[in-house]
Amino acid sequence: MNEGLLIRPSEVAEVQEAVRAHPKSLPRGGGTKAALSTPREGQAVLDMTGLSGVLEYDPAEYVLVALAGTPLAEVEALLARHGQYLPFDPPLAELGATLGGTVAAGLSGPMRQRYGGVRDFILGVRFVDGEGEVVRGGGKVVKNAAGFDLPKLMVGSLGRLGVLVELAFKVFPFPKATATLKVTFDRLEEALEAMYKLASSPLEFYALDLETNPATLTLRLGGQPEALPSRLERLRAFLGHPPDTHTLLLEGEKERDYWRFVGRLEWGHGYLVKVPIQPSRIAGLERELPAGMRRYISAGNLLYLNWPDSIEKLDNLLKSQGLRGLVLRGDAEPAVSETLKSPLIGVDWEHSFARRVTAALDPHNRFSPNP
Amino acid sequence: MQHKIDTQSIGPQGEVMAHAVEACVHCGFCLPACPTYAVLGEEMDSPRGRIFLMKEVLEGNLQLEEAAPYIDKCLGCLGCVTACPSGVPYGELISTFRGWAEPRRHRSPFARAFRLGIMELLPYPKRFRAGAQLGRIGKVFKPLLPQALQAPLELLPERLEPAPPLPEFFPAKGPRRARVALLAGCAQQVLKPNFNWATLRVLAENGVEVVIPSGQACCGAAAMHTGERGRALALARQNLKAFPNDVDAILSNAAGCGSGLREYGLLFVGEPEHEAAEAFSKRVQDVSAFLVNLGLVEPPALKQPLKVAYHDACHLAHAQGVRSEPRKLLRSIGGLELVEIPEGELCCGSAGTYNLEQPAIAATLGERKARNILATGAQAIATGNIGCFTQIQSHLRKLRREVPMYHTLEILDLAYQGKL
Amino acid sequence: MNPALSELGRIYPPERLLVQPGQLVPYESDALTAFRARPLAVVLPETTDEVVQTIGWCARHKVPYVARGSGTSLSGGSLPVEGGLVIGLNRMNKLLRLDPAERVAVVQPGFINLEVSNAAAPYGLYYAPDPSSQPVSTIGGNLAFNSGGAHCLKYGMTSNHVLGAKVVLPTGEIVELGSQSLEGVGPDWLGLFVGSEGLMGIAVEVTLRLLPKPEKYHTVLAAYDSLEKAGNAVAAVVASGLLPGAMEIMDHLAIEAAEAAVKAGYPMDARALLIVELEGEAPEVEAEARHLGDVIAASGAYEVRVARDADERAKIWKGRKAAFSAVGRLSPDYLVQDGVVPRSKLGQALLEIERLSQQYGLRVANVFHAGDGNLHPLILYDGKVKGQLEQAEALAGEILKLCVSLGGSITGEHGVGMEKKAYMPAMFSQADLALMRRIRRAVDPDELANRGKMFPHSEAPALTPHGPHPLEKAGVIWRE
Repeated sequence: MNEGLLIRPSEVAEVQEAVRAHPKSLPRGGGTKAALSTPREGQAVLDMTGLSGVLEYDPAEYVLVALAGTPLAEVEALLARHGQYLPFDPPLAELGATLGGTVAAGLSGPMRQRYGGVRDFILGVRFVDGEGEVVRGGGKVVKNAAGFDLPKLMVGSLGRLGVLVELAFKVFPFPKATATLKVTFDRLEEALEAMYKLASSPLEFYALDLETNPATLTLRLGGQPEALPSRLERLRAFLGHPPDTHTLLLEGEKERDYWRFVGRLEWGHGYLVKVPIQPSRIAGLERELPAGMRRYISAGNLLYLNWPDSIEKLDNLLKSQGLRGLVLRGDAEPAVSETLKSPLIGVDWEHSFARRVTAALDPHNRFSPNP
Repeated sequence: MQHKIDTQSIGPQGEVMAHAVEACVHCGFCLPACPTYAVLGEEMDSPRGRIFLMKEVLEGNLQLEEAAPYIDKCLGCLGCVTACPSGVPYGELISTFRGWAEPRRHRSPFARAFRLGIMELLPYPKRFRAGAQLGRIGKVFKPLLPQALQAPLELLPERLEPAPPLPEFFPAKGPRRARVALLAGCAQQVLKPNFNWATLRVLAENGVEVVIPSGQACCGAAAMHTGERGRALALARQNLKAFPNDVDAILSNAAGCGSGLREYGLLFVGEPEHEAAEAFSKRVQDVSAFLVNLGLVEPPALKQPLKVAYHDACHLAHAQGVRSEPRKLLRSIGGLELVEIPEGELCCGSAGTYNLEQPAIAATLGERKARNILATGAQAIATGNIGCFTQIQSHLRKLRREVPMYHTLEILDLAYQGKL
Repeated sequence: MNPALSELGRIYPPERLLVQPGQLVPYESDALTAFRARPLAVVLPETTDEVVQTIGWCARHKVPYVARGSGTSLSGGSLPVEGGLVIGLNRMNKLLRLDPAERVAVVQPGFINLEVSNAAAPYGLYYAPDPSSQPVSTIGGNLAFNSGGAHCLKYGMTSNHVLGAKVVLPTGEIVELGSQSLEGVGPDWLGLFVGSEGLMGIAVEVTLRLLPKPEKYHTVLAAYDSLEKAGNAVAAVVASGLLPGAMEIMDHLAIEAAEAAVKAGYPMDARALLIVELEGEAPEVEAEARHLGDVIAASGAYEVRVARDADERAKIWKGRKAAFSAVGRLSPDYLVQDGVVPRSKLGQALLEIERLSQQYGLRVANVFHAGDGNLHPLILYDGKVKGQLEQAEALAGEILKLCVSLGGSITGEHGVGMEKKAYMPAMFSQADLALMRRIRRAVDPDELANRGKMFPHSEAPALTPHGPHPLEKAGVIWRE
C-alpha cells in the first residue's frame, strides 16, 4: 500500500481538504473490519482516529455526542461510570473499533434485542459530503423530526455517502442487575421453536441469541435485582423446566466476561460476515451451512457468521437463500482487497432510489471504490 | 375554526350554526366514528368535511346545491358527537342547517313527492298502517318499481301484527312509585305494537302509572332532521299542549322519538315558546334511564341461560348518552349473558328516514351491522329503537340468518312473565 | 374539463375522480386550518397500479401533488398544493398480511394506526407508535411524518417500527426499501425515506414490526401545585435509573380542557399533572413500581393515583390524548406547537414560555412528553380579533427559536410541513439545507411530490446559473 495515500486529519477542516484533494478516498476508524477499511487502487485512506473525543455528555439527558474517531471502549467506559450504556451494544469495542466505523458498518450486538440497533439510537450526524462540505442532519435531543433523516441514512453507508466526523446517540441506563441463562436443546428445531415462543412472549430479554452447535439459546435478563430470581424462575417454567444438564446460569463477573468475549467476534480463521436474516429463514440456511462458528442475534434477526471457504461460494449460497451479507474481515487481510470485489455479497438490492441519493451526496464519485 | 358566517342576516339559527363551526378544530377524530366515512372514505362524507361544507355555504362561498349531496348523506347518528374532543354540537348544526337549507333547495318533482309521501305517512299511525297494508301488496310488484320505492318495501314485515288501541291510562301494580306520560311513537305503533304494551306492563310491574295523552302527535324528529322545520314546529306545538305537567317524567321507548323531544329547545330557537320547549325537553327521558334511576324491581331469573347482544341505537347512545342503562336493565335478569357487538358505535343505517332516502349506503351499513351481530353468536338481540329493529331484522333476513329480536323492555316483560 | 384532467378520467371512474367544488372544499385543509389551498382534483386510487399511473400523469403534465391519508397533520403536511393533485389513499386501506409468528404486519398506506394493534391483539401483539391521532391517522401519514407519541423515549418513533416499504418514486419507478429483518446491510435507505414528508414518493405497502403486549402496566397520575415540581419529578425519575415507557405533563389549562372533554377525573385544582407509566414483565414492573413510588412520594406531589385496572389506565390516557382538540373548548382558535428541548432545560423553557405568554397577552396551555423534552405549547387566540393570529404566530415562532437556542429542535414529531419551513434555517445551515434539497431533486427532479413543504422558500426548482450542476452531468436532474 502506498503510504503517501494515508492522511490523518485532526480537524474537520482537514477532512474537507482531504476529500477535495483526492479523487477517491476511504475513511477508516480503528481498522477492526479490514474488509471495509482496506483501500483499493487509487483510494486515499482517511485515518479518522485523530478526530477523537466525547464532546457532550450529560447523563440526565440520555444523549452523548462524540467525534467519529472516538474508540467505542472510551465511550463505553465513560457511560459505565454513570450507569449507562450504548443500547445497541456495538461489537468489536475491545479490539479498538470506533463510533464512526461502527455506524458506517451498521453494526449492533446481542443487546440490540432489548431496545433496538444502531439505527434506532443514532440521533445526529455531521459529515463531509462528496463536495467537501460539512453538513449536519438530525439533532442532539432524543426526539427530532426536522429535515431528512440523514443520521439513519449513514448507518451502513460504508463511507460511500460521506465521511462521518461527529455523531450523537441516545443512551440508556444499564440495568441494575443482569443474569444470563444458556439453554441447550437436542435439536435445532426445538431451539427455534423455543426462540419463537420466547420472542412472542411478554418476557423481556436484553439478549436472545441462538447458537447452532449444539443448538443453544442464550438469554440475558436485566432489571431490578430483587425481581431477577423470580423472573429466572418464570423463564425456566416457560421453557418447561429444562434439566440442569441442559442449562447454565451465568451471573456476576463471569456473565460480564462471557458477553465481553462474545462481543469480540473472534472465531479463528475465515471470513467474518454480517447477514441480516429473519427467523423463518434460519432452518433453510442451516441446512446449507457447514459446521462452524456463528451466532444468530436478536431472536434470529442478525447472523454473525464465520465462513472458512471462498467468499464466492458464500455469495452464491446467500443468493440462493435470498439473503445479503456484509463481509467484515477475512483471515488473510492483505489478500482481502484482491479477492473481494465488494464487501456486499448475496442478493443485489441496488435500486434507483439508492443511485439517485448516492449521486446527490457524492456527485463526483469520490467515495465509490469503483472507478 | 375561523369563519365569516354573517349571523346578523341569518338570525338566531345563524348563531347556533356559527357556534358549532367555531368549536370545530378540524382534528379528524370524528372520521372513524362516521358511518358514511367508513363506507365511502371521502372527506366530504365525513363530519369534519360536512362542517367545512356548511361553513362555506353559509359564508356564501359555495352553492348550496354543491354541498347538498353530502349533507343529505349524513345519517344524523351523532357518532361524531361522542368522538369529538372539542365538543362540537354537530347535531344542532346539521339539524339547523337542514332547516335553513330546505326552502332554498331545488329538488326534482319525484324527490319532492317522495319526501312528501314520507312526511305525510310516517307521523300518522292510521295512514301509515293503511300505507303499510298497501305496501305488502306492493311487494309483489317490487321489481317493477323505481329503486327509491323498493327500499321502503323491503323494510315492511311479511304481516302486520294486530294493534289493539292503547289506553289513555295504565295503572301501577301495587303501591304507586311514580307517574309518567308516554309518547307512543308512530311507526312502532304500526310495526311493533307490542313495544308499547311491553313498556306499559314493565312500568306497571315497577309501580309506575302511565298516562298516554290522546292529543299527542308525532315527535317531529323525522321532519326536524330532514329540514322540514315548519312541519316539525307544528307537530311539536301539538305535543307541548298535549302532555300534562302533573307527571314525574315524559317517557319515550323509541330512541329517535325521545331524542326528538329532547331537541325541542333547539327547534324553538327564535320562537315565542322557546322557554316552554326547553323546559319540556328537560323532562324527557328514555324509559330505560328512567327505570334505572327509579330502581328496577328485580325480575325472576331465566329458566335457561340466554346470550343477548344489545345494539346501541345512535339516538340513545350518541344523542342522549344512554349506554349503560339498558345494559344494566338486561344484566339485572339472572341467567342473561350480555355480549358487546364489534363496531358497536357504528350506525346500523336506519337513522330515521335515512334508509328510505339513501338506500345504498343504508344497505351497506345494515349488512355490516348484521354481520357484526352474527359474529357475537348471540341467541337474541335487544335494542331500544324501532328503526334499528326493522333495519337489522331486514338485513339478518337477507343473510338468511334470523336471530330473535326484541325491544329491551320486551325482554324485561317476558322475564317478569316468566316466559323466557 | 381540461384535456389533462380528461386523461386522468381514463385512469379513474368518475366517483373516484373528484373535481366539483363541493368535493374539493373539504380537502382544502388538514388539521392545521390556518392554511388552505384548493386542489385541481382529488383522486382516490385503489391499487398500486393506479398510483403509478397517477404519478406518471403528474410527471407528464408537471402537476405537483400531495398524498393524503386522514389529513390529521398538525404541520400542514397534507395541505394541497394550489392547483395540484390530491392523492387520497383512504381506499388503499387493507391489511395485506398479518404474520403473528414473525411478528410483522403488511398494510396499505390508508390503514389506520390503531387498527394495526387491534388486528394484532388476538395474538398478544401490538404496534408501538401511538400518536394521539392513532384512532384516526393512517400508517402512510405516520410514515411520511415519522409520527411519535407518548412512548417514544423507550420505543422510538414510527421509523423504529417500520421494517420495509414498497415505494412509488416521483419518477414512477417502484422500489422496495428495507426488508422483513430488523437488520440490514448498506445504507439505510428506508431510514431516509421515513419522515421525508412525502417529498420522496408514496409508500404503497408498508411492513410493520409488532411487539408482544407488555404483561403489566403501572400507570401513575401525580398532581402538583407547580409545573416546576412536576418537571423536577421527571428529572428525579430519570436520575433513579428507571426507564418508564411514558412521562407526560399537562398544565392547568390543558387539564381543564381535557377534563371538560372526556371527564377523565383529573384533579382539577392541580397546577400540573404528571403521568408516568411503567410497563413490562410483571415481577419487574412490580419492583420498579416500588422504586417509582418512592421517587414520586419524595417529589412533592399532593395527590398520587395509581390506575387499578385497564379502564382506569384508559381513562388517564384518554384525557391526555384528547387534550389538543379539547383546547377547542377553551378558545375559538389555537395553534399547536411542537418543539424539543434537552430534558434538563424543560423548566427553563417553561418559564420562558410563561414570560412570552404574558408579554403577548395570549394564554398558552402546555401538554408535553416530558420524558423526551418534547413540548406542545397550545397558543390560544381569537381569530376574530384583528391581529391576534399574527400575534399567536409570532409567539409560536419565538417558542421555536427558544427550543433551538436551548439545543433542541423545531419539531419532535409533527414534522416541518408548511408550518415550520421558515424555521428550518434556525436549525440547519445553508449547506445542510442545500444537501437535503439536492437529495430531494435527485429523487424528484421537478419537485412535484408535496411541493412547497419542508424547505424554506421552496417553490419550483431554481438551478444555479453558472455551469451544469454535477447532478445534471450525472443525468440525475435536468433543465427543461
